[in-house]
Amino acid sequence: MKPSNFDYVKPKTLEETLTLLGDGGRDSVVLAGGQSLMPTLNMRLSAPDLLVDINGLDELSGVKLEGNQIRIGALTRHVEVENSSVIAENCPLIALAMPHIAHPAIRNRGTFGGSIALADPAAELPACICALGAKIEIVGPGGDRKIVAKDFFKDLYETDLKDGEIVTAVEIPVTSSKTKIAFDELSRRHGDYAMAGLAVNAIMEGKKIENISICFFAISATPVLAEGAAGILNNGILDDDSLGKAIQQLESDLDPLPDLYASRALKMHYAKELLKRNLESWMS
Amino acid sequence: MNEIKRNQSIGVPKPLVDGPEKVSGKALYSGDFVPKNCLVGRIMRSPVAHAEIINIDIIEAQKLPGVKVIITGDETDEPFGILPIARFEFPLARDKVRYRGEPIACVVAVDVETAQAAIDVIKFEYKELPGYFKSKEAMAEGAVNLHEHRPGNIEREVDFELGEVDAGLADSDFILEETFNCAEICQVQSEPHAAIAEFDVERQFMTVRASTQVPYYDHLMLAKVLKMDESKIRMIKPFVGGGFGCRTESLNITLICALAARAARGTVRIVASREETFITHRGRPETDIDMKIGVKKNGIITAVDYTAIQRGGAYSGYGVVTILYSGGLLFGMYDLQAVRYKGLRVLTNTPPPGAMRGHGITDVRYAFESLLDKIASQLNIDPIEIRRKNYLKGPNYETLNEMFINSYGLPECIDWVEKESGWKKRKGKLGKFKGLGVGCGHYISGASKPVNWTGEPHATVHLKLDWDSSITILTGAPEIGQGSSTMATQCAAEVLGLDMSRFQILTSDSKLTPKDNGAYSSRITYMVGNATIDAAKNLRNILIEAAAKKLDADPDDVECLGEFYTAGSQDEGLTFEEVVKAALEGTGTITVSGNFDTLPESWGTKKYRGGAISGSMAYAYAAQVVEVSIDPDTAAITVEKVWAAQDVGKALNPLSVEGQIEGSVWMGMGQAISEGTEYHEGLAITNSMLDYRVPTIVESPPIEVGIIETIDPNGPFGAKEAGETSLIAFIPAFTNAVADALGVRPLDLPVTPDKLMELIENKKE
Repeated sequence: MKPSNFDYVKPKTLEETLTLLGDGGRDSVVLAGGQSLMPTLNMRLSAPDLLVDINGLDELSGVKLEGNQIRIGALTRHVEVENSSVIAENCPLIALAMPHIAHPAIRNRGTFGGSIALADPAAELPACICALGAKIEIVGPGGDRKIVAKDFFKDLYETDLKDGEIVTAVEIPVTSSKTKIAFDELSRRHGDYAMAGLAVNAIMEGKKIENISICFFAISATPVLAEGAAGILNNGILDDDSLGKAIQQLESDLDPLPDLYASRALKMHYAKELLKRNLESWMS
Repeated sequence: MNEIKRNQSIGVPKPLVDGPEKVSGKALYSGDFVPKNCLVGRIMRSPVAHAEIINIDIIEAQKLPGVKVIITGDETDEPFGILPIARFEFPLARDKVRYRGEPIACVVAVDVETAQAAIDVIKFEYKELPGYFKSKEAMAEGAVNLHEHRPGNIEREVDFELGEVDAGLADSDFILEETFNCAEICQVQSEPHAAIAEFDVERQFMTVRASTQVPYYDHLMLAKVLKMDESKIRMIKPFVGGGFGCRTESLNITLICALAARAARGTVRIVASREETFITHRGRPETDIDMKIGVKKNGIITAVDYTAIQRGGAYSGYGVVTILYSGGLLFGMYDLQAVRYKGLRVLTNTPPPGAMRGHGITDVRYAFESLLDKIASQLNIDPIEIRRKNYLKGPNYETLNEMFINSYGLPECIDWVEKESGWKKRKGKLGKFKGLGVGCGHYISGASKPVNWTGEPHATVHLKLDWDSSITILTGAPEIGQGSSTMATQCAAEVLGLDMSRFQILTSDSKLTPKDNGAYSSRITYMVGNATIDAAKNLRNILIEAAAKKLDADPDDVECLGEFYTAGSQDEGLTFEEVVKAALEGTGTITVSGNFDTLPESWGTKKYRGGAISGSMAYAYAAQVVEVSIDPDTAAITVEKVWAAQDVGKALNPLSVEGQIEGSVWMGMGQAISEGTEYHEGLAITNSMLDYRVPTIVESPPIEVGIIETIDPNGPFGAKEAGETSLIAFIPAFTNAVADALGVRPLDLPVTPDKLMELIENKKE
C-alpha cells in the first residue's frame, strides 16, 4: 500500500524543528532513519499530517567522548556506532549489541535516537541504555531536560516524550576497569526480532558483584530491569547458589507477554536461560 | 570428416536458456506491462469471514473523479474452479462471503489512490454468520453450511480399503499409532500475483497476461466467467517468478482483471500486494492425520490404517484431488498389502489452499515415515534396514491401487545416503543432542489423466524450421522458473544433434503456441519432453529425406550428425544449412508437430471413486539423511547437513536437477522448522514475509546431492520427476533426526521452540 497524504518539511535548525513540532493543530511525526516509520506509513498503521525530516540537523549526529560520559547524537546511524572505536573502547555493551540490530542495510540508515524514541519492546538499544544507566537528552517547547533511561520507557511504544519534544542525544557513563558486561538474544531466524534478549552491566571486584543491572527485552511491553534478581546478586559473590536464586527471582521480576512466536512459558524459560548462560560464563 | 560429432545436450549441465533476461533485468513479468491509458484495478475484500451479502452500495464511490467503473458479484453469475465437479467459486462474491479477504468488488480508476479512496466509501452491508476456522468447528453438529450443496461442510469424503486391513493388523506382531498435525503453509514465491487485461471494444477481443502456471486453464475460465467465445480471448503468460503450485488453477485476480477491463472498455492492470498474494493462498492445507501401522517382528509391514482431515478453506480449488492424493500416493513406495484410508476434505471460513509442491502426499508421507522410524527404534531395527525390508519387489511392479512402477530407484537412493552420510559408523555415535535421521518420498511424473479430459494428446509441441536455418520451438508449456524451456531446447537439440544456440523457444501464448495443460503435477519434463522428442524426430526425418534426395542416396543410408548429413564415408555430405535449403525447396517454411500420450495402464484404479488420481507414467524416488544438533536449553535446532539422493530417471540437465533438489530440501525445511499460517477469527496474521517465517540463507544447511539414474523406459531419455520428491523426504528425515538427538519425537509441524521445549520438559518429568 501507499501512505496517506502528508506534508513534508526538512528543517535546517533545531529551533525550526521545534516550531514545526510545536504546532499543536497538526499531527506531526519526526522522520529520522525511517526504518520503522516508512513501513508503518505504507501499511497505514499511522497517518500523520506532517513529516518533519530531521536528517538535515547535523548537530544531532555523532559520537563524542566528554569526560566520563559518551554522548551519542540521536541522528547517529547504527553503522557509525557499530564501527566507532570510541564506543568499542568506552562502551563495549553497545558495541556488542550493534550486530544484532536487524540487517546491515537497516543499520546503514536507522538511527540510535530513532530506536530509543520508537521504543519497540524487542529492540536492543533501549534495553542496553537501561542497563547502562544512561540519560536521555530531550529538547522541547518547555526547554531542555534529561531523563534516566529506565523512566523513559512507559508502555508498548509509549515513552515519556511530550508533545513537541524530541530526543537529541543519549549520555552513557564510560566503562571502568571493573565493568563486566553481557549481551545475548534468542531469535527464530537470522535478523528477526528477538524472542527474548538480555543486556547486563555490572561492576565486579574479583568474584564479588558490587553493582549489577540486568535488563531484558522482547519479554514485556518495555525493557524490564530485573531489580529483584539484581538485588540478590548485588554485594555478593557470584556463584552457583546466588545465580540460582537470582534466576528463580525472575519468576517475580518478569511478567512475560506472549506473542505469535513464543508463549509466556517459553519467554520465561528463555529469560532464565539467558541469565544463566551469560552469568555462568563470568564464573569460569 | 571423422571429427564431426553430433552435439550432445542431454546429461550435460546447461545454464537456463531464459537466464540472461532474468539476470540482466530485461525479463518482463506480468506487473511490468504498463501500456498507455492503462487503468488500475483494486480489489475490495470482505472484512468478515462468513456473512450473507445484503448490499454493496457503490453509488458514492462511483461519483469520485477518476473512478471509471466499479464491478461487484453482479458482473458474472458464472462460477469458476479447476475441477469440473467443483466449480462454485465466483470471481467476486455473490450471495455470501466465506473468508476474510474474499473479493467483493473491484474499482477501476486512473490510479491506486483514487481506487482506494473509492473503496473507502463503498458501503458493504451484510448479515454475519458464524465463522469456522478449524476443521472440527466446521464439522460440528449444527454448524451452518458454507455451501448449501455441501451438507456438514464436507467437500469430499474418501473411503477405501484395499487388501484386508483387519486381518493384516491381527496378523502383525506389533502395532503403533500416532496422531500428527501439520500446519497450513504457503508457497511465498518471489513474484506476487499480477494480471493485465486489454479489452478491444471494436473487435470484442480480450488479451490477458497473468502470472500463472496454467494459461490454458485460465483461458477456459476466462471464457466461462466472461461468457465469451474461447477464440475471442488471447492468453499470454509472460515471465513468471515462481509458482510451486499456487498458480496451478485460475486465480480470482486474473478473472476479476478481465471482467474489469471489459466493464471499463479498456486496459486494466491489477498487481497484488504480498498480503493479497497470501490471501489468494492455494498453499498446503492444515492436515490432521491419525495413522496406525502393523508390522511383523522382522519389520515387514502387514497393514496401514489411517485418516486424514484437511482444512480445505472456503472453496474446493484442487481440494478433491488433494484428499485423493493423500490416499492413493501412500502406494508405490513400499510393498503394502493392506491399506485402509479415510480422507475428509472440510470447508472452513479460511482462504482456500491448493496444490502445493508435493501435492497431497507430503503430510501423509511425513506421518508414515515418522511412524516407521518409531517402529524401527522400538523393534531395535536400523531405520534404514526397516525400509529395505519393505521395498517393492523390483520394477515392473503393480500396486494394490493399480499403479504401474516401471523404474524404482529407492534402493539406490537409500544406499547412496547411507554411504555418503557415514550412517553405519556415525548413527547413534554423534554425542548428546546430535542426531541423524532418514526419510523417503516419491512423487508422480505428471498426472496420467488430466483434470480436464478432452481426448487430445497430453502434450503437443511444434518446431518451426525457416530459411535462416534456425529452429523455433513453440510450446504451451509454461516456463515458471523451473527450467522447462531449457529442457525442451535440450531435447530438440539432442535429437537433431545440433547446438542449442540454433534454437529459440516461444512459450505460452494461446494465439501462437500449441495448447498445453500447464506446469503442475511435475508433468512437463515427462510429457512435453517426450512430445518435443517426437517433434524433433519428425523434423529429422524430413531433413534426412531432403538430404537423401540431394545426395541421391537411400534415406536409410543417410546419417544425421547434426551440423552435417552424410551418406557413407565416401560421401562429401551436406552441411545443415544445405539440408535445410533442400528441405524447404517447394514447401517454404515448415512446422512439424510432436505429441505425447499416456498409456491407458497408467490411468489408475477403478477400485474406488477417484482412483485415477495418483496414476502416472513414472514415479521418482528420494531418500535423505539429515543431521541436526539441538540446544536443549533453548530448543534451537540447527540443521548441520543434508544428504539428498533422488532417482530422477535421467538427469537431462544435472545443473538444473541439482538446483531443484536443493530447492526442495530448503522448502521442506521451511515447513519442518518454521512456516505456518495463523488466523485470528479468520483474519490471517502472518501475511507478510516478516511474520511468515521462511528460512533465510543463514539457516540453510550444506546440502550434498546424489543424482540416481534408473532410466525410466518411457521417460524422455529415461527422465522422471525432479522438482518435488525431495521436499517430501526432507520433513520426516528431519524429525527423525530430532528424535534421534533427543529421544523424544515431535509429531506436529512446524517444530517450533515452544513445541520442542514442551517435549523436552515433559521428558525430564
